[in-house]
Amino acid sequence: MAIYNREEFLSRIAEKLGREQKIESVNRPTWTTAPHLELYRDFSKDDLVNMFETQCDVIHTHFKQTSVAELPHLLRECFDELNAQKVVIAGDPRIEEYGLNRFFTKLTESDFYVHTWEADKGDENIEFAANADVGITFSDITLAESGTVVLLNDSGGKGRSVSLLPRTYIAIIPKSSFVPRMTQAMQQIHIRVNEGKLLPSCINLISGPSNSADIEMNLIVGVHGPVRATYIVVSDK
Amino acid sequence: MKVSIFITCIVDVMYPKVGKDMMEILQRLGCEVDFPAAQTCCGQPAFNSGYHKDTKDLAKHMIQVFEDSDYVVAPSGSCTLMVHDYHNLFSAPEDEEWREKAKRLAEKTYELTQFIVDILGVEDVGAELHGTATMHRSCHMTRLLNIKEPPTKLLSHVKGLEMVPLPHNYDCCGFGGTFSVKMVPISEQMVDEKVHHIEGTGANLLIGADCSCLMNIQGRMSRLGNQMRVMHIAEVLNHREGSDQTWESK
Amino acid sequence: MGIKIGEKSFFPRVEEGIKDEGMRKAVRSAQDRLRSMKLRATDELGHWEDWRLLGEQIRKHTVENLDYYLYQLSENIEKNGGHVFFAKTAKEAREYVQKVVQQKKATKAVKSKSMVTEEISLNNALNEIGCEVLETDLAEFILQTDDHDEPSHIVVPCLHKDREKIRQVFKEKLGYEGTSKPEEMAGFVREQLRHKFFEADIGITGCNFAVAESGSFAIVANEGNERLTTTLPKTLITVMGMERIVPTWEELDIVVSLLCRSAVGQKLTSYITLFTEPGGRSTGDGPEEFHLVIVDNGRSNMLGTEFQSTLHCIRCASCINVCPIYRHIGGHAYGSIYPGPIGAVLTPWLADYKEYKDLPYASSLCGACTEACPVKIPLHELLIKHRRKIVEDENLAPFPEKMAMMAFTVAAKSPKMFQYGSKLAPTLLFPFTNKQDHTIHEGPGPIKPWTEIRDLPAPAKETFHKWYQRQQEERTNGDL
Repeated sequence: MAIYNREEFLSRIAEKLGREQKIESVNRPTWTTAPHLELYRDFSKDDLVNMFETQCDVIHTHFKQTSVAELPHLLRECFDELNAQKVVIAGDPRIEEYGLNRFFTKLTESDFYVHTWEADKGDENIEFAANADVGITFSDITLAESGTVVLLNDSGGKGRSVSLLPRTYIAIIPKSSFVPRMTQAMQQIHIRVNEGKLLPSCINLISGPSNSADIEMNLIVGVHGPVRATYIVVSDK
Repeated sequence: MKVSIFITCIVDVMYPKVGKDMMEILQRLGCEVDFPAAQTCCGQPAFNSGYHKDTKDLAKHMIQVFEDSDYVVAPSGSCTLMVHDYHNLFSAPEDEEWREKAKRLAEKTYELTQFIVDILGVEDVGAELHGTATMHRSCHMTRLLNIKEPPTKLLSHVKGLEMVPLPHNYDCCGFGGTFSVKMVPISEQMVDEKVHHIEGTGANLLIGADCSCLMNIQGRMSRLGNQMRVMHIAEVLNHREGSDQTWESK
Repeated sequence: MGIKIGEKSFFPRVEEGIKDEGMRKAVRSAQDRLRSMKLRATDELGHWEDWRLLGEQIRKHTVENLDYYLYQLSENIEKNGGHVFFAKTAKEAREYVQKVVQQKKATKAVKSKSMVTEEISLNNALNEIGCEVLETDLAEFILQTDDHDEPSHIVVPCLHKDREKIRQVFKEKLGYEGTSKPEEMAGFVREQLRHKFFEADIGITGCNFAVAESGSFAIVANEGNERLTTTLPKTLITVMGMERIVPTWEELDIVVSLLCRSAVGQKLTSYITLFTEPGGRSTGDGPEEFHLVIVDNGRSNMLGTEFQSTLHCIRCASCINVCPIYRHIGGHAYGSIYPGPIGAVLTPWLADYKEYKDLPYASSLCGACTEACPVKIPLHELLIKHRRKIVEDENLAPFPEKMAMMAFTVAAKSPKMFQYGSKLAPTLLFPFTNKQDHTIHEGPGPIKPWTEIRDLPAPAKETFHKWYQRQQEERTNGDL
């Protein structure tokens, strides 16, 4: 841990700006306009889910909605549709909360391989994820405007690779996690910083499958990340 | 209402009929028009080329010429823009007096169509011209002075005139002042694309509100063998049926 | 590669660009699409001018207090367990990264798209010490595979290549036998690159924005290669231009919203990766060691000058996407990895001023760039300021231009002389005027370049000045 050449570098900046160097007590000014705070202000959760669903079309993402009770059934349908047999899921207390333990245990009794990500499993996690057909995570915050799931990959089971390495990515989205847009997610994180809390080492905002328009501006869905994304909104959570 | 004409050097030398038409329109709309004879050029060619010290002196001259005018009206968005920007030349503390004078001049200086629609409150000037036309919107006027509606409003009331939209109307025609002679190969590509779009409209008349852009586009069309009719908007707005006379014959 | 691309001077490069029909077709179609996508995205958002104003205020405040925010950033990174290197020059930045690579005994690095690493020639520097650097962004991979072809756009670097050209490159260099279907070629690249991420010792990224309050970074992307780069290798090196920073996560929201909509017309790109490293592999993946390199490389020379707002740029390329000059000459003609209006403003500061003195003139000053900029950088005005600097400070203007401007301004200050000149015009140009169509097809002196491609109407026989004077006289005589 080290910082090199800082003093010289910063004093040059101050000198060019024609003033003394500032290393403390700069406050953000009050911006004269705040259009982002006005957007979708009076939207209900249902409005937000509707906006989200519309946006899913734009970002080539499959949208599904279900209840906690029906979730295992729907996941099974997705796996069958994808011909998936290897599934990696982020280690998340919500697996139990949503009653998915039993579902996954039962799956492994048939032809399925299910791996729950746990940090202390070491490289085994990555090896499994790299060959998995499906990766599943829960959404921590969901942005209605852009069709985005926010993953706070902080510790333990929430490996970054789960939503990245498998060919298909499935997000389980509690309806309660919906906010209008990026603004509210960033505010939450800003509050965590202000409270002196540690931030997750990686926060991923994911809006659909990986894609590129680098060849003749033609949209290609699926480049380095998952080639397919499915969002499952759980209405009673 | 007393109005001073700022003729602009290109209209003065190349297209004096535009000035005459503009004067007649303003008089018809009840303005008392005068023409301060000491006026020269707004200085934009020098300013845009980086000769700011020289432009400053020029700006001072123009500020003095129009000091006593109530309104200054020019048949060009581009030259009007330059006048509006004069105050930036006087940003130094010691130039405060000139800066204030420049701001006063900017406040009373208008592009022709903007003046007719926004100040005189007139949209129908009683013109008549039969044909299908398309309009080249010049960049300085539309984008930098934000004058978008007035020309369209005025043209929509010209009897017999059908306006067709020009695709890619937001793209520059490739004039750009000294750019047109400094960067000839690039300017050529730009004006060619513009001509291509104009020809694609099927219009038989091109209208514009800046003579410099029109000189560029018409000059290129002429070189390519296209003799399409090109008119400044003042000529259109002063047109009556049977009034087709050239400047020289008047 | 550095900032400079190619060895030719400006006009030969322009000529090359204009002749490249394939490139021009690609650029036209990309511009048209990007323009309409951006307009739709900003319309949907509503109150776009307020957004721009907010963006401008944030960028202005940040740059005005850059020393403070960089201090805060570096403190936070150290607290998180990372290393920070402040590099005044490209050379210092390269040498630091070389040192890290050597310490790690690394031979393989994967890199996600980053303009600043191009600017400082990082790939060459690492190749020199035996470390292979693989570009993993699809477009950058195509360029690297094609014998290190140069980027022609800052967001879509291989814009100048069509699918057939890309197929040929893949066939020739990598033995690709598929079709030129973009999906198929992208699938091929996915297969080619996937294992490389697992083998790499080092990941290298740029950053779109650093967040000072927590020492975090945002990468805005679509493909997922940037996620692989920041997830799999055990050492991560992030290189940033010193101005790419925001105070807090709240401002990050605004600049990322502006960037995604302006650059590619998306509400948000598929992946926005926000990392605070090193995470100590707390998630079981992610780097164990983190280095940040903050690059000045000429940027600080703009601070405190009338060009300071250049540092507000968020690299969305929307000025490039609406520029009619770029449209016809393409990115390579600028001779800089930063093309278009922002390139013409920025490059002279980051490289040799004299070498790039043509760039500020490669603009018709139509203002499309200024209108497009999401943080309201007055780009066309900055181009004029460059011209002023070239003429008045650097004394680099060509002599004939200086003479012509002097004659013009002297005349324009004197009404008599000006009117004399105007009146003289028809006479002077009479010998060159075609008597049939009253136009000049081949003009003399300063008119010559004009008539190379266009006709010029002959000046009117009587100027407006003269006509008005005659009218006044006739009226006075009539009254008598």
